[in-house]
Amino acid sequence: MTVLNPRPGAAGGADSPHGGLPPPIPPGAPRGFSALAERHSRILALLGKRLIQIPLVLLAVSILTFWLIQLVPGDPGRNALGQYATEAQVHAWDVSNGLTGSVVVRYLHWLGGFFTGNWGTSFVYLVPSRPLILGHLENSAFLALYAFVLLVPVSLILGSVQAYREGRRSDRAITITLMALSSVPEFVTGVLLLVVFAVWLKAVPVQSAADATGNFGQRVHAMTLPAVVLAVFYLAVPARMVRTGTVGAITAPFHRTAVLKGLPSGQIVRRHVARNALIPTVQLLGIYLGGLIGSSAVVETLFNYPGLGALLVTAADRKDAVLLTDGVMVTGVIALLALLLTDVCLILMDPRIRFENTES
Amino acid sequence: MDSMSELGTGLGAIEGAPTGGAAGIAETAGAGAGRRRARALLRRPTFVISALIVLFWVVAALGWHLFGLDPYGNSGQALAAPSWSQPFGTDNLGRSVFARTLAGADTALAVGPAGAVLATILGSALGVIAGYFRGWVDTALMRVFDVLVVLPPLIFLIVVVGAFGASVPALIVIIGVVFAPGIARIIRAAVLAEMGKKYVTTARLQGESAVRIMAAELVPNVLPTIIIQATLSLSSAILTTATLSFLGLGQQPPSPDWGLAINQNLDFIETAWWTVIFPALAVASLVVSVQLIADNIKETSS
Repeated sequence: MTVLNPRPGAAGGADSPHGGLPPPIPPGAPRGFSALAERHSRILALLGKRLIQIPLVLLAVSILTFWLIQLVPGDPGRNALGQYATEAQVHAWDVSNGLTGSVVVRYLHWLGGFFTGNWGTSFVYLVPSRPLILGHLENSAFLALYAFVLLVPVSLILGSVQAYREGRRSDRAITITLMALSSVPEFVTGVLLLVVFAVWLKAVPVQSAADATGNFGQRVHAMTLPAVVLAVFYLAVPARMVRTGTVGAITAPFHRTAVLKGLPSGQIVRRHVARNALIPTVQLLGIYLGGLIGSSAVVETLFNYPGLGALLVTAADRKDAVLLTDGVMVTGVIALLALLLTDVCLILMDPRIRFENTES
Repeated sequence: MDSMSELGTGLGAIEGAPTGGAAGIAETAGAGAGRRRARALLRRPTFVISALIVLFWVVAALGWHLFGLDPYGNSGQALAAPSWSQPFGTDNLGRSVFARTLAGADTALAVGPAGAVLATILGSALGVIAGYFRGWVDTALMRVFDVLVVLPPLIFLIVVVGAFGASVPALIVIIGVVFAPGIARIIRAAVLAEMGKKYVTTARLQGESAVRIMAAELVPNVLPTIIIQATLSLSSAILTTATLSFLGLGQQPPSPDWGLAINQNLDFIETAWWTVIFPALAVASLVVSVQLIADNIKETSS
């Protein structure tokens, strides 16, 4: 993409070392020697920028979430104490749970609590929401990681096979199949797999995923079907990215040069094709890992798996504002951390990021 | 949040790539190209089959009560296996799964099309504005979108549906607003590619107003991209409403909605697989068909 609107701050210290000389044109786009001069500060500048951006985005997300959840109708005090409690008791409960005062006051009360580890008490489960959320998060993370481990090699293989067979019938067939699989909701794929493998073939028990506890082997066995469903649903885009990246790399002049100068094909694939083809894919996969943890709500509900997504669905269904606000914030934090991790991986993989200002 | 916007434009580049050329063709050819494209579409078997499947579900949605189907009545036989009198069997309340599956098209198509149209109009308008004005308008819009895409989409939807409810009008607005940023990004990328072309400069030199350039010059040229995005968002809108129903946050019993039907009948999957398989196949056939239609439009417009 063309370099448009370089953002303020993105240029780092580009214009400071020029002394009395006029800054280079266009401002904020280091070219030639000015880019070389600050190559070592690039990594720190990028990470530093992220570390400032992430709390700001998180703050914006928290305001949006808190405000939206305030709109959820319902009387949590009355729900928690039951219909026989007096008005005074309900009011006292509201006060102790920070439910009185203006939205701003309640927001600040909640925000302070969130950062000091006092996340409030779930209205529905009547236990502190922090251990509840973190316990479910662990289950979700395990499932997401399993799905991710399945997703990465399969998308790499399919994408590169497609790239080397570009334009042929098999390329088109894989594209259509993956697209169809990703447009079908997870619960449909899940139900079809359940009927085939659990009901007809009896290879796995129907309620298998419910036993998320137990030793590692049992957990892996129980979670295979849910993880496969998640991986299948998210396969299309990474495979497509690998395909696009690989096609770009094998049609590039440097690839022809490498072939013509007689490099062994293993070396060409490793050093020239893979490195270039993987850059956009890593970026995407990082975002997926962050997203998978929250997006598994459907699979968790289908397989009755005690994960964070299913917990948040219950919280939304039963109007549990405390649980919902805290849980949504946790998914936001995870998505942003995944993004930071992606940046670090990209810096390690792509030397151009260290030297150049790669804006949108 | 560069990598987010990079991802957005990266995906935009993939989605939008084939249409960059198409816009150029459309610019010169006009109506003849449209007819040629329609004929090319009708020659593709996947397009024709998909269109027929979508047509089938539209007819089912609009006309199920005309065919004398009863999705609510008890046939007297609970969890009966598929037979001549009950082609898809019956559910735990003795209701005909056949009638319920056909009637389920009604709720599946109640939200999706309107939501997709709203999302397309909103997203295209924002995308064209961001791409045309660039500068701070563009930056501000993209930063707002960055905040909206931080949360996993499903989690965001759960919160919004919790706040505004899941009535049909509320869902249409929610789908429209939630899907608009993604469309806006892709349209923005397409508009940015158009902005470098001579006809925009010419229009500006002629003194055409910004509104006129956007509506009369840019929109027709990015129209193929807009149509593809509209079709794709229709597929995701149907998927999303079905998912919300499955999670118990959308349609409520006794609605014959497909997502809800699967949720309600999960307990019987071992003894009566037909209660979940037919609604599942119905959702799958509809969303895959819409997706394939989008894919075919994309292929023929490049």
